[in-house]
Amino acid sequence: MASGYEDKIMSPSVWHPRDTTEAWTFKKLLDSDAIYVAGGTLLRTQWESGLAAVPKHLIDLSSIPGLTGIEKKEDSLAIGALTTLGQCRKDPDVLQHSPLLVEAVRSIAASSVRNLATIGGNIVSRVGDSLPVFIVCQAEFEWNTGLSPMTEDASEWVERLQVQLPKASHLLTRVHLPLFRETDLVPKRFGAFHKVGRREAFTPSLVTVAINGGMKPDGKIADIRIAVGGGQTIPHRLVAVEKILKGQIPNRELLGEAYHAVMNGYRPKSDPFATDDYRKKTAANLIITEIWKTYSEWADGGREPDGAY
Amino acid sequence: MALTRTTSGERWRIRPDGPDKVTGKLAYLTDMYQEGMLIGRVLRSPHPHAGIVSIRTDKAKRIPGVHAVITHADVPGMNRFGIVNPDQPVLCEDRVRYIGDAIAAVAAETQEIAALALESIEVEYVLLPVVDDPAFAQTKQAPRLHPGGNVLHRNQYGHGEVGKGFAKCKHIVEESYSTPRQMHTYMETEGGLFIPEDGGRLTVYSPTQHGYKDRMQLARILGLPEFNIRVVSSPIGGSFGGKDELNVQPYGALLALVTGKPVKIHNSRYESVRAGLKRHPMKIKMRTGVDENGRIMAHQVHIVADTGAYATLGAEVLNFAIEHVTGPYTYESVEVEGVSVYTNNGVSGEFRGFGGNQAIFALEGQMDRLAEKLGMDPWEFRLANMRKPEDPGPLGQTIVRTDGAMRTWESLARSPIWLRRHDRRTSEPWIRRGTGAAIAMHGSGLGFGIPDPAGGMLALAEDGKIEAIFGYEEFGQGLIATLELMLIEQFGFGAEDVRIVIGDTDLVPHSGSSTASRATSMMWKSLQKLRGPFLDRMLNEASKLLSQPADNLRIGRGGIWDKSGEHLLLTYALLARNISEEIRFQTHFPFPVSPTKRVGAHYLYTYAAVAVEVEVNVLTGRVKVLKQFHAIAAGPVMNPQGFLGQIEGGSGMAVGFALTEDSLMERGAYLTRNLDTYLIPSYADLNGEIEVHAIEELPEDDDHGPRGVGEIGSVCIAPAISEAVFQATGKRVNKLPIDPELLQETPDFLAKAVDGI
Repeated sequence: MASGYEDKIMSPSVWHPRDTTEAWTFKKLLDSDAIYVAGGTLLRTQWESGLAAVPKHLIDLSSIPGLTGIEKKEDSLAIGALTTLGQCRKDPDVLQHSPLLVEAVRSIAASSVRNLATIGGNIVSRVGDSLPVFIVCQAEFEWNTGLSPMTEDASEWVERLQVQLPKASHLLTRVHLPLFRETDLVPKRFGAFHKVGRREAFTPSLVTVAINGGMKPDGKIADIRIAVGGGQTIPHRLVAVEKILKGQIPNRELLGEAYHAVMNGYRPKSDPFATDDYRKKTAANLIITEIWKTYSEWADGGREPDGAY
Repeated sequence: MALTRTTSGERWRIRPDGPDKVTGKLAYLTDMYQEGMLIGRVLRSPHPHAGIVSIRTDKAKRIPGVHAVITHADVPGMNRFGIVNPDQPVLCEDRVRYIGDAIAAVAAETQEIAALALESIEVEYVLLPVVDDPAFAQTKQAPRLHPGGNVLHRNQYGHGEVGKGFAKCKHIVEESYSTPRQMHTYMETEGGLFIPEDGGRLTVYSPTQHGYKDRMQLARILGLPEFNIRVVSSPIGGSFGGKDELNVQPYGALLALVTGKPVKIHNSRYESVRAGLKRHPMKIKMRTGVDENGRIMAHQVHIVADTGAYATLGAEVLNFAIEHVTGPYTYESVEVEGVSVYTNNGVSGEFRGFGGNQAIFALEGQMDRLAEKLGMDPWEFRLANMRKPEDPGPLGQTIVRTDGAMRTWESLARSPIWLRRHDRRTSEPWIRRGTGAAIAMHGSGLGFGIPDPAGGMLALAEDGKIEAIFGYEEFGQGLIATLELMLIEQFGFGAEDVRIVIGDTDLVPHSGSSTASRATSMMWKSLQKLRGPFLDRMLNEASKLLSQPADNLRIGRGGIWDKSGEHLLLTYALLARNISEEIRFQTHFPFPVSPTKRVGAHYLYTYAAVAVEVEVNVLTGRVKVLKQFHAIAAGPVMNPQGFLGQIEGGSGMAVGFALTEDSLMERGAYLTRNLDTYLIPSYADLNGEIEVHAIEELPEDDDHGPRGVGEIGSVCIAPAISEAVFQATGKRVNKLPIDPELLQETPDFLAKAVDGI
């Protein structure tokens, strides 16, 4: 074949690093000509659609030992970044300790995709539906930055994403997902995950919300974290809503205030498939209804709080 | 009778083409491969509307591994295609009218080289204003997309005087309905293998719903006699009307002839979305009035269909919509007019339901709104205005006497879903439940004035197989299984005795198209006509060989039996080996048409009455279809599994039409370019229970037998869902797919706190 054309029709080279440092080194050397690939399920769709060009080099992370699997620790689950979504969904410890994550993973793509796609890939895509859960559960992401491992709180990480792209060479290795237990001081924990798409399953998200909170014996909300995402929105916390609710017993007025705080605080990224207003109302409806349900269950438990209905 | 696996008994059979399909063993035409074949690709316009200044192919031609680069200059015959109205360029000369328009085609040794060749073709365009709105397209300011202007077709129908009719009305409902640009979304995208043969012949292995029509069109394009082309058109991985028109065939055929080598083309999903047909988006304005007794005095309809860049069957779809906006009702006066308009919005064309889906959504919406105004039960209101069996058809034409409307109406009225429609209990206050119903009559066949030939052949092959030979295609609908069951039940053959030959123009007779819910009817009718002569001849030949009177013999499984059925006397193989002359019978006849001379008017109709139960979550506005009931009057059920499959499948497509599917376009470009944004219903959306009742009895004098059910399952779902949503939420839907935002509410427990802030 004559020269000049080979370049244009060559397949990318695939590199198989033996450890994360080697992976990081490849990335450093090849720079923007290379990309980390785990399951490759999202990248593939981007290449096919022309959203991203197929790079010259693929750094295959699946060959690195020790990045898969879920380990139960005293107060947390350590989830290897290369653990597939399918494994996350079926893992006995995740099933027992993190129904929110199970629900989130269940809502992502379809089983054939989940068998390839990894939890790390879902996170570093920056718009994955597992992210809101990690944010509200105060998960920590562990990164190989080439020097020493670095950990960062999920919500701090997404906050940073709002202003700048993450370093492309940083390699997510592990997620530490804290486990929340009911205690004497906070006898009731509540949480919810909702993903609303345009169909019931295997759908891109329009709105994704996650809530994780605790209620004191007197019905006051002890702690609460709320995160919203969906579509191409990088998930973020609704700090103002959390503030309104924290330390309060939810009543109609407070819920109304929180409702408006969701409407004002949620910053969805527009696309042609739903209006921003729809996304905001959906998020507000789902979040406030969850708080109301939690409160109603508590109230039905026989304790009559002040300012009840 | 409720049609289920259980009620079907032994008639519920494993379809002959089933195992190979579900195991992936079956090679579709687009899976075919030949040593030394080239890969064909088509260069399509990136602009929805532009003039072509120049096309330069030199660079592309110089790429090693590229065997041909062709443009309009290389089309030896007519550089146009279109089943009825050939106005679409095979390869554009001086202008492109949609983003799928073809400009050049290449044949290369690999996919990669072909892709590179496409990139290397230099086309200079001058951009033209995009006509993306059918209303604008009809104005004087709009650029003319075709020499005859921007109106593809206009048609009307009417009787009585609507002005006088409206004057007598107590209530008038006026509404404008909009329907989406639905995509066929077959699993197998368009493609095929094109092989030049000895003697200047060409074999085309490529899915289509009418092999002979493709052959005719290709002959026209290639400048070849039709008999030089063999079209193998089956099996197909889904079509739904979308592969009825030519798609990749002209390019594959041209490239194969130019290079003298086999050429394979197979569209990616992106290319399929971009180049392929869609359902006509329609805006249907209706004004309908009733007198104080609930009788419809006047019905005025105006339809605007966005037919996109080229005609294909746009005119016929509009005619069908005009015929179906009146439905199974009688009116004192009717005035319908419609226009199908060219735009730069892709190409709209034939799609299961054929304009009926849009028409019936609007019409049934009117019926529900009128009933509400009258304070009447919507089903009773329909009954009060229902056509009588002897009434003429929707266009005033003579039709076969039919009581399908009444029969399906009654069946639905007794259905469990309908009987419990007032029970609105749900698990949560923000979940609302509602039930809605719709009824329709749907024409089958192509209609008056359109050549609609039918026919088939039966033969005893040399190896003793009974061959049933038809020019139809299997695209998943179950045609092979249905034909096999007819041969077993009506002739007494065993499944292993028969061989079904379809979808190959070198082997099959002209049977017409596998469209318009016609194939089952026409196979049945052909077999009725062939049965007597064919069996008589078999028995006579057997009688000679066995030296027994034919009266003592009977046809059975495996061969000729004695009258008692106790002894197999002669296998079909032995019979075939010993006959003096070939046993082969052929029949030809047209699809039955109305004596009334109105182009497109139908003669045979099927009926459906459908009830659905839905849940609406007002927090999200999302609608979930819980249960469906379908009463279908389409004559005797030829194949229970196939019948059920068609109704359930048609219904699934219609749920998509109602709830999720729309090919969004912006300035003539698709925003939904793949199945990650264009969403067809998933299993989770369709897992509700579906009950199908088949009403098999026909009026005594009706000898037309079974009617096809390929479309009827898809036409009533959208209006039924819309009414169910209204019952659940109090909100009227006039636009599909239903926008969840319309149905969203602030939860009750918050209403006071949130109101007014």
